[in-house]
Amino acid sequence: MIYVRIPGNLRYRDLAVRAVAAASKLVGTGDRHFDDEVVSAFGEAFNNIALHGYRDHQGEVEIEIEVGADWLTIHLRDRGASFDVSDIPDPDLDTLPESGLGIFIIRSFMDEVSYLAGEPNLLSMTKRYSEADHGGTRP
Amino acid sequence: MTCTRTDQGDKTTLVIDGLLDAVSTADIRPIIDAVVADRRNLVTVDLASLRLIDSSGVGAIISLYKRVRANGGEVAVTGLRDQPLAIFKLLRLDRVFSI
Repeated sequence: MIYVRIPGNLRYRDLAVRAVAAASKLVGTGDRHFDDEVVSAFGEAFNNIALHGYRDHQGEVEIEIEVGADWLTIHLRDRGASFDVSDIPDPDLDTLPESGLGIFIIRSFMDEVSYLAGEPNLLSMTKRYSEADHGGTRP
Repeated sequence: MTCTRTDQGDKTTLVIDGLLDAVSTADIRPIIDAVVADRRNLVTVDLASLRLIDSSGVGAIISLYKRVRANGGEVAVTGLRDQPLAIFKLLRLDRVFSI
């Protein structure tokens, strides 16, 4: 298990994204698409915590990453304002929305997403590797 | 992230490299505002050296597209690959831009 605890501030976004990118490579899919989709989903989740969860006060984000043989799960814990990803409808992409795309990216790129509001809030996201989905080859 | 604007005749090219995310998108908003205010109507956004984009960055490019189009112009996006290409395809922006 990999554990990172950092301020829930956009200044630390790149650091957190790099940690998740490195962890994703440990799954060993050899497939860049898998890593890109994990990083994309995580980045949006971190944005939501920094921009919305901690809009009114500062706090920390605990990032816990579990790496399996062909899967990866990321848990994000924060003590900011809650937002339930299941409450947010998909955007109408035909209207070319300029915002409200982050949750859609998370739900699209990860296989399982759950959210528990509380102290702390807990967002859990799992992605499984499938050669059929990604066409990658394991080393 | 760096964003370089080059005007050549009627054409404007924006070369954006590095990370276009919730942190850096604020830096390109004034450049986009200036392109629109100058009524540059043939705009190309070169993303060949863009390493990563998030929904904030996509929102800025969509904003540029809508505003230039409202002025009667066109916006092209070139050079997409890897993570930025995956995001553009997911958001079905391949219907809007020839990527």
